[in-house]
Amino acid sequence: MTSTTSRIAKPGALAASVALALLALQAPAAAFMQEGPDRWGPNPNASANGGRVDTLFWVITALVSVSFLIVLLMLLVTVLRDRARPGVKARYDHGSSLHDKRFTAGVSVAVFLLLDASVLWITMHDLRETVWNIPTGTQNVLRVEVLAQQWAWNFRLPGADNEFGTPDDIVTINHLHVPQGRPVVVHGSSKDVIHSFFVPDMRIKRDVNPGAINKVWFQAEKPGDYEILCAELCGFAHYQMHGTLTVVPPDRWDAWQAEASHIAQATYDENDTEARWAWDWKE
Amino acid sequence: MSGDHIHPAPTSFLRKHVFSTDHKVIARQFMWLGLIWLLIGGGMAMIIRWQLANPGLPVPLLGHLLWPRNGGAVPPDSYNTLFTMHGTIMIFLGLTPLLIGAFGNFCIPLMIGARDMIFPTLNMLSFWTVVLGAGVAFASLFVPLGAAEGGWTAYPTLSSTIGTPGSGETMWAIAVFLIGASSIMGGINYITTVIRLRAPGMTYTRLPMTVWGLVLTAALNVLFLPVIGSAMILMVLDRVFGTTFYVPASMTQGGAGDPILYQHLFWLFGHPEVYILILPAWGIVVDLLSFFSRKPAFGYKVTLGALVTVTVLSAVVYGHHMFTTGMTAMLGESFMLLTMIISVPGEILFFNWLHTLWRGSLRLTTPMLFAMGVIFVFGLGGLTGIYLATISTDIFLHDTYFVVGHFHLTMAASSLFGAFAGTYFWFPKLFGRMMSEKLGKLHFWATIIPLTIVFCTMFISGWAGMPRRYYDHTDSAYLRPLQHLNVLTSVAAFVLGAAQLIFAFNFIKSRWWGAKAAMNPWQVGTLEWTLSSPPPHHNFDTIPVVLSGPHEFSHPGLKDRDWLPQTEAAPALPPGAAAPHAAPAGTRA
Amino acid sequence: MPRTRPPRTLALGLTLLLAAAAAAQEHGAEPQTAEPATEHPAPTASPHLRAPRHVPLDITEPVKVVSPGEAFVEALAAANPGRFSQVDEHWVDARGEYVWDEDEELYWQWLSAEQLTRGRRDFVQFCSSCHGLDGDGYGRSAQHLRPPPRSFHQSTFKFTKVPSAFLPNDDALIRLVRHGLDGTPMLPWDVSEERLRDVVQYLKTLSPEDSGWRDPTNEIGEVVATTPDPWVGKEQEAIEKGKASYHKNQCYSCHPGYATPAEINTFRGVPAETTYGADLTYSKLKRDSSFAVQGYQVSIPAPDFTWNTIRYGRDTMEVFQTIAAGIGGAGMPTWGVVGDQKGAVPDEEIWALAHYVRWLIDTYKDRPEREAFMAGLRAP
Repeated sequence: MTSTTSRIAKPGALAASVALALLALQAPAAAFMQEGPDRWGPNPNASANGGRVDTLFWVITALVSVSFLIVLLMLLVTVLRDRARPGVKARYDHGSSLHDKRFTAGVSVAVFLLLDASVLWITMHDLRETVWNIPTGTQNVLRVEVLAQQWAWNFRLPGADNEFGTPDDIVTINHLHVPQGRPVVVHGSSKDVIHSFFVPDMRIKRDVNPGAINKVWFQAEKPGDYEILCAELCGFAHYQMHGTLTVVPPDRWDAWQAEASHIAQATYDENDTEARWAWDWKE
Repeated sequence: MSGDHIHPAPTSFLRKHVFSTDHKVIARQFMWLGLIWLLIGGGMAMIIRWQLANPGLPVPLLGHLLWPRNGGAVPPDSYNTLFTMHGTIMIFLGLTPLLIGAFGNFCIPLMIGARDMIFPTLNMLSFWTVVLGAGVAFASLFVPLGAAEGGWTAYPTLSSTIGTPGSGETMWAIAVFLIGASSIMGGINYITTVIRLRAPGMTYTRLPMTVWGLVLTAALNVLFLPVIGSAMILMVLDRVFGTTFYVPASMTQGGAGDPILYQHLFWLFGHPEVYILILPAWGIVVDLLSFFSRKPAFGYKVTLGALVTVTVLSAVVYGHHMFTTGMTAMLGESFMLLTMIISVPGEILFFNWLHTLWRGSLRLTTPMLFAMGVIFVFGLGGLTGIYLATISTDIFLHDTYFVVGHFHLTMAASSLFGAFAGTYFWFPKLFGRMMSEKLGKLHFWATIIPLTIVFCTMFISGWAGMPRRYYDHTDSAYLRPLQHLNVLTSVAAFVLGAAQLIFAFNFIKSRWWGAKAAMNPWQVGTLEWTLSSPPPHHNFDTIPVVLSGPHEFSHPGLKDRDWLPQTEAAPALPPGAAAPHAAPAGTRA
Repeated sequence: MPRTRPPRTLALGLTLLLAAAAAAQEHGAEPQTAEPATEHPAPTASPHLRAPRHVPLDITEPVKVVSPGEAFVEALAAANPGRFSQVDEHWVDARGEYVWDEDEELYWQWLSAEQLTRGRRDFVQFCSSCHGLDGDGYGRSAQHLRPPPRSFHQSTFKFTKVPSAFLPNDDALIRLVRHGLDGTPMLPWDVSEERLRDVVQYLKTLSPEDSGWRDPTNEIGEVVATTPDPWVGKEQEAIEKGKASYHKNQCYSCHPGYATPAEINTFRGVPAETTYGADLTYSKLKRDSSFAVQGYQVSIPAPDFTWNTIRYGRDTMEVFQTIAAGIGGAGMPTWGVVGDQKGAVPDEEIWALAHYVRWLIDTYKDRPEREAFMAGLRAP
């Protein structure tokens, strides 16, 4: 009769070598990895509320990692311990007793509470406090209209008069300037197909649909340039549809906006009615 | 109920091998169709992964054949076609025919003790409808502007003539409609057969869980394929007759419809579809874990209840695919809550699976490895569903590689492992020969390790913000530092693809040159193993009388063996055996 | 046992029904934002609002267009003796592609129906969303776009680096498509040269009768002659010379001026008291005859190098070529040497200008330093 240790040793060695093989497979891939700093995650959050997404992501990761580890452990134990051996019979148990049913129910409720209910609680707070809670005009909001098309982003800022459709509107293609530290509310639509306005560094995303206006908001906390990506398949050049979000430090915003509005007014062609695409802002 | 009438076997070649109404022949036809299209769809995936790891480089071997005018590299329009057709083929022409068509057809009549499906001609039609749909999909590759490019989800207005002129997308919609029609036919057949043609004594709680998985899938098929059928009809009407069901009134379009209507219709089908693909696999896993632990399936009724709950709830969670479309808070939160709730029966399933294994006597055959593999990959995939059910994290992760990793692990890997498990398990009964165990085990390990790497790396890519359906990630400054993840994913994917050739080789070699199979090589008690391998045309000489459940293993009253055929009653429990371990009411003699 | 309570299924069913009704209400609860009828400006009278159900994809007849010229055909004949045979003083093409026209005294190029069909299909696939299914610039995504997408029904191309007196050659057009026009939705498209060559042939056929490539008096030109940069190693000097040249040549009449009035007067050699309008440092709107939208000729501001993105000027050489070739239709003259004709500005000076323009972009565009720089120029 083999001892317990040597019964575990063989399959244990197998498990260990599998794990090593998994790690070792990274090695040849490393030879293909590109030079330069590689990233393994998103850039650090640059917005006021994006940190909540990060936090919740890691909370869920902790919960699911523990859960999966438990499942893995149970699988490992049963594979190592319960392999068919001569003279050892399986346990005849249909698991249909009242005790079993109660235990199953108990475990299910516990898992739901630990995994799902906890996450629900956190996200409901995040949603109510940030995502659904779009600031209104009285809160020092910067309004932006986004009109997506194949394959570019059209942006419109209302300028100093805070009205859309006036000569001082700042209309740009693929480059959006916003002030740091103020809520930016984006109303988005599309000319042709569905696109999706995705700014990873601000942790926001919202589809922009033709014939409709969707709303999303964020508040940038760090100055700099960030990339805007399209996150809904929109044709063969979906991958090329980038924009730049420039977050302007608060002390430079007014000067930038004034200059941009002045340039807009200087180059406004009042007879070119076909160029207008603004819509009335509705909170 | 079906009487003891035995129909004579067909004699003509056409009737025997082409237009057969024998469910076993149709099952094999579905199996070959499914496996071949899995190969084609998998090949497309290899090309996709090549392009992503080596943007703009000519594709080895096939590149200059397929894209001579692009120097052998994949052009961006063809790339969109590749992932569109990859998804469509894998789901509708690969997994559905294999898991539902092949195993549904083969297993149901045999496992319930019937001679055939209750509607054999409808059965035959359902196969040839798939072939017709496949033909339309294949033909769409050769039209002037190419095949569909709108993703398998085909959202308008990209999939309307606004975003996609040409007939490729129209043909795609027709192909999906036809394949859907076939599944509806099959679904009607499966449900009616199980209701009407069960052998005497085969109560609902004595059915193998494989049959239940297939019946529940059939119910979802019958209920929800008409929804996507309607969605496709509306799309074809828009594209061909100029209606505007999906074309909105906007500054540049003069329609009267709503593209979001399509999304509701599509996902109302689309979410149940993923359960359609997983339920048969789950059913197979329940049975195989029991068979190869030599132990009854733990909590049969509770498991069944969980499967039924999942089936019912699958209809009301679909909105989690649409969290970023601009739905109201209440609608979004309702879908989020329901999606969280649907994970509970899934958790119960896991619990019962693990408990089935626990204190069993495990025979680690290839079918068992794949069944346990489902626990592993579905565990990984299912848990990552929590990130996507949660609206605030989903907003970031939607349409990134996180989603791709999630659905490949839950839908592709789990269903495929179920299909592999079923193939290795029923191969002897299907073809009368055994598949090679050594090659099978090699196939398993050579698959599960790279598969884990491929899709877990995608979780990292997705969390890093890498969107999906991009032709070239290095075009973006934000994504360029993530390119190493693409390389890693692709290298592992190539290994994964190559590993499937082991299966292909094993399958073909064993089909014609494998060791002849005994009647019951796995020593299990379900009814198909009481027949020869393969069974005769009429299956049962006399319809069996069922006296016990499908999982009566290691019954303490059994002396010289640890399994019990369903045609035998369970022996009396020896004195001292505890009552709580007895079979549930209704399964005893 | 008699039932004393309503069946549970009925209660469940009613609950589900109510829930569904509530959910349906909620999804409709954003009607204001989902209905653009009053918010969006009314759709303009563009004829392209409804997607046509049938898009013609086949060209059945070959089309003849202006060839690159006698010299080109002669060189082709010399390189392919098997294909060409000499008759009188002219060449006969066995393939029928280049055909001598006795009356017009030129070679026509016959574009085959197969090639045009390939080009037409790729045009529809890649270009029609902006440039329109008929190539008239009225694509669905073109609405409200400034600058509007090119209409191929006129043959003015602004950025091919071929002087506007000529039609651009195939390579120049292909390079433009693959380079893209920075700052516009005309991105650097990933379409292979082979496919673009066919698309370009198709574009030629969009010239209206007796104009563009169908006008036998038009010549196909080359990219403007690009001499080597004489300022290598002397970039600072180039920038200074460029600044002087810019203001001496009065580039500020369209583009902004980037020097104080005093400096400009020195550069121009005019009296020191000469004054300039307050808007010297802002771009001017310029009528662009290469764009007409709904019959209205669109105006495009001449770029402010410290503010706008220039279309085809990523390095000094590209800027040199743009200045030298000019921008047809937009009021940017051909400043460089064309053929025997003496250019307005010598090459060395154009290179200096190119260095100066790139210096302005690199130093001030999207940088905090711009504010102080422009303020300094605008000080009274």
